[in-house]
Amino acid sequence: MATLYKTAKSEYQDVDDVLEEREKRSDIKQRVLMVASRGVTFRQRHLMNDLEILLPHSKKESKVEAKQDIDILNELAEIQNCNNVFYFEARKHQDLYLWIARAPSGPSVKFHVQNIHTMDELKMTGNCLRGSRPVLSFDSNFDSEPHLQLLKEIFTQTFGVPKGARKSKPFFDHVFTFSVVDGRIWFRNFQIVEKDAQTGGDMAKNAKPTLVEIGPRFVLNTIRIFEGSFGGPTLYENPRYISPNVVRAAVRSQKATKYASRVADTQDREARARANPMPTDPLRDVFE
Amino acid sequence: MSDDEQMYDEAMMEDEETALEIAALQSEDLLPQPKKEFINHKAALRALVDELSQKSLSWIQRCDITSTEPIVVEKTENDLDRELKFYQQGLEAVIQAQTEVKKVGVPFSRPDDYFAEMVKSDAHMARIRQKLLDQQKGIQNSEEAKKQRELRKYGKKIEQEKLKEREDQKKASLDKIATIKKRLRSGDLGEVDDFEIDVASDDDGSSAKTKGARGKKGKDGKPMANKKRQLKNDKFGFGGKKRGLRKNTAESTSDMSGFSQKRNKSTGFSAVHKKGKTKRPGKSKRQRTN
Repeated sequence: MATLYKTAKSEYQDVDDVLEEREKRSDIKQRVLMVASRGVTFRQRHLMNDLEILLPHSKKESKVEAKQDIDILNELAEIQNCNNVFYFEARKHQDLYLWIARAPSGPSVKFHVQNIHTMDELKMTGNCLRGSRPVLSFDSNFDSEPHLQLLKEIFTQTFGVPKGARKSKPFFDHVFTFSVVDGRIWFRNFQIVEKDAQTGGDMAKNAKPTLVEIGPRFVLNTIRIFEGSFGGPTLYENPRYISPNVVRAAVRSQKATKYASRVADTQDREARARANPMPTDPLRDVFE
Repeated sequence: MSDDEQMYDEAMMEDEETALEIAALQSEDLLPQPKKEFINHKAALRALVDELSQKSLSWIQRCDITSTEPIVVEKTENDLDRELKFYQQGLEAVIQAQTEVKKVGVPFSRPDDYFAEMVKSDAHMARIRQKLLDQQKGIQNSEEAKKQRELRKYGKKIEQEKLKEREDQKKASLDKIATIKKRLRSGDLGEVDDFEIDVASDDDGSSAKTKGARGKKGKDGKPMANKKRQLKNDKFGFGGKKRGLRKNTAESTSDMSGFSQKRNKSTGFSAVHKKGKTKRPGKSKRQRTN
């Protein structure tokens, strides 16, 4: 408070104005907390690591056991002074759910993550500066629905690196693309190459840059959007979302129907045989 | 890292399997259909969007670009089409971002001499490069092997053609010689064509010597075999009158026509050739002298 008074006095500003300015700057300051639950597989863990590398304004936490009491994460975010949380929840050592929440009071979204490919894969040949700010590219489908608009806003604030972030680098090296296809959100990360593809030298003046994929890549399937952070009333639920457990159960029941139909067929056959007995042969006892 | 890759591949295959199963299920209507009634508080969502959006911030703080056209992919499974559309979206955004960033005056491209820590380590990039090189080499090797195979086949063909050509040439020249000789024999001695070999002079020179041998020619023009050879051909050769020639019958044994007392007893030319007792020396002496 003393410093506030001093700055106010020296600059002939009202204390309230200075406070407002401070708040505005913290508006700009977005920090993301990355947390995983216990039971993540190696690939999911690598995905979390990759995102932590790509977002220099993020802070990684050790694993939490928060499946029952998920509000712990709000407190954790407050302790770490982060206003966004990425919570990677793994279930059954198979499915990965991603919660993106705005810590104290804001909305939260739960996604089901599919088709995870990490940066380690040798087919992802691009590379970029560690901590450079990304260009965020959104599909214009994001403007069509209010829930997609909200998602766009959330992605901008979480995946976009704020300008003065501590570990950020000045140049624009890579682009994050978010696209809506088949009701899911597809994420890609490309390196911007401004050199000539063949010669490796500088490009011609009007030549287009090329994009090389860096990774990671994943698909987010929205499940629900909540009003509060990690809970609260549902604002949106995805009608096309099918839980992976339901899918597995359906697959198993399909296999079961195969067996059940076979059993039914054999029973049918027996019944038919009994209903139509073979006519007795008049010449049966001829050769005895 | 390689077993990581193997595990990735296995898990990838599992994902593909489940995707196939899902597709199969959806076609069979075993999965629940999308719900008709679902929660969607549009007003509340819009209010939240307004609340959250950082309108006060300049664009450079957010760096977000929205594409001009929505992405429409007919089939999600069509990987090439889908990825191409993502690429185009990204490219469009980059080009637009360049202009926006230039407006603000912030540097966009990284200069060549700016070295800083990268997201992927140098060792990792080296592995990627190695893999690409190996792939290229593999393609090159297979192309070369294909070329070699083709060349070998081609070479064999050429060889056969050449051999055939040589044989044909040989035959043609022999035929030419034969026709010329024929013409000479039939009496066209005066004709000496400029384009043909002057065989006439050669013929006169060597005719005396070889006439005897060359005179004996059968119908084909092939040299006629001597009498002994002809008899043997008739008796032991193929084709012709063989029936009844080789029987050792009572008739043939009692046939004394081959024997003639007079011939056996005559001393014919022996008086002319043998001067006194010029007997043939024995084997050992013959061998010694030879």
